Amino acid sequence: MRRRFSPGRVLGWTVLTVVVVGSVFPFWWMVRTAITPAADMYTDSSALLPDNPTLVNFARVLGLTSEAEARAAGGSGAHVDFARYLVNSVVYCALIAGFQTLFCAMAGYAFARLRFPGRDLVFGILISALMVPPIFTLLPNFVFVKELGLINTMAGMVAPSLLMTPFAVFFLRQFFLSLPRDVEEAAILDGNGPWGVFWRIALPMSRGPLITIGLTTIVWAWKDYLWPLLVGRAEENRLVTVALGVFLQQSPNTQPDWTGLMAASTLSVVPVLVLLVFMGRRLVQSLNFTGSK
Amino acid sequence: MTSSTPHHPARRRDDRRAAWWFLVPVLAGFGVFYGYPAVRGLWYSVTDYTMLNTPSFVGAENYSALMRDGDFWNALKVTAWYVLLNIGSQTLLALAIAALMHRLTRSVVLRATLLLPWLVPNVTVGLLWMWLLDTNLGFLNHLLGTVGIGPVGFLSDASLAMPSIAAINTWSYTGYTALLLYAGMLQIPQYLYESAAIDGAGEWRMFRRVTLPLLRPVLALVLVVSLIGSFQIFDTIAVTTKGDPVGATRAIYFFIYEEAFRFFHLGYAAAAAICLALILGVLTAVQMRLLRASRSDLA
Amino acid sequence: MIRRSRAGAALLSLAVAAGLAACSSSGDEAGGDAVTLDYWLWDDNQKASYQACADAFHADNPNITIKISQSAWDVYWQNLTTQVAAGDAPDVWTNQGSYYPQFVTSGQILDLEPYVKADNVDLSQYQAGLAGLFEKDGKRYGLPKDWDTMAVVYNTDHLKAQGLDAAALEDLSWNPTDGGTFEQAIAKATVDNNGKNGLDPAFDKTKVKVYGFLPEWGDGSQGQNGWGNFAAMLGFTYLDKNPWGTQFKYDDPRLAQVIDWYKSLIAKGYSPALDLKSTLARDALLNAGKGAMTITGSWMINSYLGDSAKVKFAFAPLPAGPQGRKSAINGLSDAIWAGTEHKDEAWKWVKFLASSDCQDIVGGNAVVFPAIKTASDKALAAHEGKGRDVRAFIDQATAPNGTFFLPITDHGSEVSKIVQDAIQSAVLGRTDSATALKKANEQVNALFK
Repeated sequence: MRRRFSPGRVLGWTVLTVVVVGSVFPFWWMVRTAITPAADMYTDSSALLPDNPTLVNFARVLGLTSEAEARAAGGSGAHVDFARYLVNSVVYCALIAGFQTLFCAMAGYAFARLRFPGRDLVFGILISALMVPPIFTLLPNFVFVKELGLINTMAGMVAPSLLMTPFAVFFLRQFFLSLPRDVEEAAILDGNGPWGVFWRIALPMSRGPLITIGLTTIVWAWKDYLWPLLVGRAEENRLVTVALGVFLQQSPNTQPDWTGLMAASTLSVVPVLVLLVFMGRRLVQSLNFTGSK
Repeated sequence: MTSSTPHHPARRRDDRRAAWWFLVPVLAGFGVFYGYPAVRGLWYSVTDYTMLNTPSFVGAENYSALMRDGDFWNALKVTAWYVLLNIGSQTLLALAIAALMHRLTRSVVLRATLLLPWLVPNVTVGLLWMWLLDTNLGFLNHLLGTVGIGPVGFLSDASLAMPSIAAINTWSYTGYTALLLYAGMLQIPQYLYESAAIDGAGEWRMFRRVTLPLLRPVLALVLVVSLIGSFQIFDTIAVTTKGDPVGATRAIYFFIYEEAFRFFHLGYAAAAAICLALILGVLTAVQMRLLRASRSDLA
Repeated sequence: MIRRSRAGAALLSLAVAAGLAACSSSGDEAGGDAVTLDYWLWDDNQKASYQACADAFHADNPNITIKISQSAWDVYWQNLTTQVAAGDAPDVWTNQGSYYPQFVTSGQILDLEPYVKADNVDLSQYQAGLAGLFEKDGKRYGLPKDWDTMAVVYNTDHLKAQGLDAAALEDLSWNPTDGGTFEQAIAKATVDNNGKNGLDPAFDKTKVKVYGFLPEWGDGSQGQNGWGNFAAMLGFTYLDKNPWGTQFKYDDPRLAQVIDWYKSLIAKGYSPALDLKSTLARDALLNAGKGAMTITGSWMINSYLGDSAKVKFAFAPLPAGPQGRKSAINGLSDAIWAGTEHKDEAWKWVKFLASSDCQDIVGGNAVVFPAIKTASDKALAAHEGKGRDVRAFIDQATAPNGTFFLPITDHGSEVSKIVQDAIQSAVLGRTDSATALKKANEQVNALFK
């Protein structure tokens, strides 16, 4: 490690630089296409910046232009409103991350600390669900949500993930097991019941893992596609991912409206980028956490 | 896993009542959205069900039809091909990147940047690459064109389509995998490297003798998780190729999806989903065993 | 806790409902029993015309509001089937031959015959044969709204530069062996990077700049945009009877001949290879100057002759095959969901859609050819008023034996997948055409057992 300049280090840094550029460049090309006028698609050079940058593609995917303007800018006559889809996605992620983390923490705590008959059996059954591919429960769940009349509602979209996910229960149980018992035992001696201990002692002590699980849940929920595609097709509660899929085919006469699509794609990345800027350290550390478990 | 408490509290507690309240939401969620549908799924798999009729019992007919269905076997085959390509490239690349980072830098900015492709929805990733790889207007074909190659039909050539999909997802998941492996490497005691260096070991030998063996448990866990994830490839295919050309990218998830929601063969799709669950179950069990073996190795 | 989570769900749905209400209340109306009908269609080019119909209808029936939703072709059928399965379908939707039978079989489309009888709707006002496409066993599952036929579209400037003018394209011949004069025209229209066309001995088929002919391969089980027409010109028929046949004839060697001819175009460099397919559709490639000709339908007239076209296009009749010139004719209809709560209102709307009141509006906007003959004439007049020559489509529709109907059967989406896969695998050279089609035919016919 002392040698500052060795051919090996130079090579290593070169490889890392290539990797970083490879990770970031496609995003630049996305933005670059998004600020290109649709009319220039065939004629524009392949330079890093478009010849005539414009924001019209963003305006039209946010539903800020009239139908005629959207058509003139290369879109279709179809209505798109990515502002609404973004809000839907944020609500969807917040609901799932909030409720799921809380409920799974409660269960994880119970499995780690409380004594009751059948504890290991129940835990074992819950964990066995980790082995089942989601598509297996997805089909009957669709039928079930349909029977409840919740197709195309936010309630139907969040229902299967709102209450639990086996991984979070497993992960938080592991964490609670690793907490030292002394503080809790002291709290019990002070006359706290299991609830008191959980709320006042255990939860505050586990901010780190809770944020880890919460952040991970947000990221996965943001990426969700198949389930919302089935139960959230209606314009009113489309998520960004579903809306992108619809928009791909919404384009005039099956020719993808690439400038609009890339503008919409950029919008789907912005919230994630914000998350990364403000929570980057946490996110990266949360991976350390899961990685070392 | 089991923490042995040195001395038991005098009184054996029984938190039955409290535990019940702690567990209600999760048990309800499990019962309603995992247990109940699992039973229903099993039932559908032995019925003829189109979602518009009442399911009628047909015995093992769906399963025997699956065994005879060339498309089903093709779906398993192309999925296996995808998993092989994706896991292979992703793990090797991630291992290389993690090792480089481990020896060169602790930069959080670098790590956050590598994480970006993973944070983006697969749908966005699919769209983005579909655009970059387009035969006529795609940037990559433009680059190839300037050196006199192509155009290449990355997503429309039957033999290239699945490797392209695998490459797209490798792009998207390598950073994430690298960070997981990197986190594992951070746990390897520094003095091992120092003493290896004193013995005159070069970087490559340190990687082989120190990093790799001590990383095995983490590596195994990462492999299990990404393997199971890989089998469930759907989003990227649903956005880009939709199973084309000629089923070359019709992976098992997409096959089940089409059977269920395009042709409304729900019973048939449920049977296929159960077959997939069985395959994944066996694979996981095998991997877990390997994982356990590697753990005891370390101890 | 269960109570609480239920309450949570209830709250959620309330919030969602409130959101919905907030959106829909932006419309007008607060009448006593005002009804809003959901109406779905897929063509964004037609949305404005049908919105005009909806406005006219609303003026006559102030208590019925029509809410039009448009989503593109693939999404449209996915959404519709999912919504029907979920028991939440639109009240009225637009149907097409290969997709509607599945809804008939599952009892999702309302039988209109009693309404037609009661209101004395004149079925003879429609273009011949269209009304019959939506009939089964004495029941009627839709009223005709429009029709379309096929023609050749070409880049006029490019073809002129190769010495092909409109007159030269007026009466081409075609056969599967050497492609006839049609293939000669295609060859002439194909130009390589050195400016040599396909007939030039020095033509370099590895460096093609402009392809003479762009085939459509994502054409399901029908080949409406290409192979289906050529096969019909050889005497091929899809089915034992149409509509509602149960025996397909995709193993007909004449169909394999057509596919082989297509493959020969690729081999000669006149058409792009399937494995180099772009995300861009044929019209985009024509606009980008990467292709010279293709076969298109009358619903695309505005895309090619409208303001958005970057190149000057014109239409020519299909070439004439051994059995004459034949074009697919396809009709669309409007159907009522059997589960709608507003059957009478929905019927009023469908009747209006199928009347000259609405079809004259649609025809006047010159977007598609309406099913009613007089409205169709209006469309033709409107096109001519804009100086657009669309005779190729009309002549084909009126020529004796000039058209054939696309297959209407059960299992439409399965058949579509199987046949499209077979044709693509033949074109990609994974199997020969005859074997692929024979196998597909067995698979397809097994669906009806």
